[in-house]
Amino acid sequence: MVRAVRGVLVECDPAIKSIIVNINSENNEYIIEDLDDSHLVVQENKVQQLKHLLDQRLKDTIMEPERDSDSDRDVKD
Amino acid sequence: MSVNTNSLQLSDYLEKLPGTTFKRLYQQPSTAFAIFRRMLPHLAKTFVMAMLYMPTPFLISDLEIWVKPTSKRQKDQALATLRSLHIIQSAGPQSMTLTTNFRNSLRLALEGGGDHHSFGVPSTLPVPSDVDLAFLDRYARKKWDDILHYVVNSVEYSDMRDKDTSGGGPKASVKELLIAGRLVEKRSEANSQVWTLLLLWLEAADAAGERAGMDSVDMLSFLFLLASLELGRGYSTDALTEPRRNMLPYLVDFGLIYIPPHDHQQYFPTRLATTLTSSESSLRSVSAGFLAASEGGISDAGDKNAIILETNFRVYAYTSSPLQIAVLALFCELKMRFRELVSGKLSRQSIRKAVDMGITSDQIISYLATHAHEQMHRLAAAQKKPLLPPVIVDQIRLWQLDTERMSVCPGFLFKDFESVREYEDMANFAGEIGVLKWRNDRKGMFFASKVEQIKDFSKSTSPTPYPGRLFLNVTDLWLFAVKNRRKAEQ
Repeated sequence: MVRAVRGVLVECDPAIKSIIVNINSENNEYIIEDLDDSHLVVQENKVQQLKHLLDQRLKDTIMEPERDSDSDRDVKD
Repeated sequence: MSVNTNSLQLSDYLEKLPGTTFKRLYQQPSTAFAIFRRMLPHLAKTFVMAMLYMPTPFLISDLEIWVKPTSKRQKDQALATLRSLHIIQSAGPQSMTLTTNFRNSLRLALEGGGDHHSFGVPSTLPVPSDVDLAFLDRYARKKWDDILHYVVNSVEYSDMRDKDTSGGGPKASVKELLIAGRLVEKRSEANSQVWTLLLLWLEAADAAGERAGMDSVDMLSFLFLLASLELGRGYSTDALTEPRRNMLPYLVDFGLIYIPPHDHQQYFPTRLATTLTSSESSLRSVSAGFLAASEGGISDAGDKNAIILETNFRVYAYTSSPLQIAVLALFCELKMRFRELVSGKLSRQSIRKAVDMGITSDQIISYLATHAHEQMHRLAAAQKKPLLPPVIVDQIRLWQLDTERMSVCPGFLFKDFESVREYEDMANFAGEIGVLKWRNDRKGMFFASKVEQIKDFSKSTSPTPYPGRLFLNVTDLWLFAVKNRRKAEQ
């Protein structure tokens, strides 16, 4: 029997996807279906939460580039 | 992560209202007339005028003779609009008529007569000497700028606060911000911005419900009444009902009406109010008049053509308008402020902050372009280069892309097909109607953004005797119910 499952298709890099899978592995509440390297279907009402968690992870792991120093004055802040 | 840039529009709001509400709205000739003027495409107006004095229902076959076969699409759209606004109803299988209230009210509006006071009651009191058109324009403009300034400033705080709850909270403020941003770009659209604000207000009143003593239907019809009033003329507050009189202070705050401080018996609609239901073309000239009227002697007359953008990401703005500075501060790190000049810098962080608040890179770019300093135009023309340095434009776009780590698309995943053919038929059909977002032939699954047409398709091709081979499972129904409830709560 064909089924239509409501959800949100998420498209992202494989790197981001693996972070999402990692977040999901904690208590398995986001992902409905793992489609391929760059696609996932997640619960519709959890998308915002997932985005928030993803942002946090990225903040922890990615180095923000230093303030560019092309300025000719007050770079100290 | 696409941000919905459509601001709240009157038509969307009206479409959501139930038929009984329209019945009440159309009791007022001013409302029926306003809807006729503002909301209908020309073809729909023609239909309405044709049917207005027709004693018998209008046959659809007759209508088809009327309309050239080449314009079938426009005809269908016009009819759909009329139906969604509850202006026409079916009077049988193949004919239609105007709804009674709408017909009676529009006739009254056109012919005059009746003592419905639907178009306001002019005040008999003398007009204070200082109230003239220029004064009203200045007054409305200042009030509206104040509102925008407040919106632009408050967005940052409310956004930070709401981020944690990540519910529908920041939406409204973000929306308002978009409007603000756009309004600053294009003053000619002020009219639809005013509506957005008013509709947010109506929805808030709806949410507050009875205890606030406000009835959004009555409020809406009062707004339509205001729109039919004459600029520069005083109207009597005594002729208004109690709830409408209670609305007046708010309308004063929005700059829609002016009440002289020493004389509360009359109110003056401003241009913001009287243009509420003008059609777009007439609005342009009106707003041109508005601009011309307000630019003489107002402090922020120079807030156009003020920004210089350099290839090193520096921004200089020759302005002292608090509104424009506040808008700039949304996407730019302001570093120095002098009299009539602020300077700052675009940076990854500042753009990212703006994108988080729901401003898109395109909006930023178009804001910079519309407000570019004359010198920028001159330089660009002399060197035959684009107005804004391409490197900056690209970088702003890249910075935005940077924040979009994942793109999302709500819809339905189709799986567990019984046969390859069934899968292929449905996936191909989804592709044809343009709702297919992803498919994998090996797994036999596909993702579509809309389900209704596919459902119909599967019904029509289904070999099984019972209709509806597609079932949403129980969790889906539950999710759906939760979503609807949440919408209702908002």
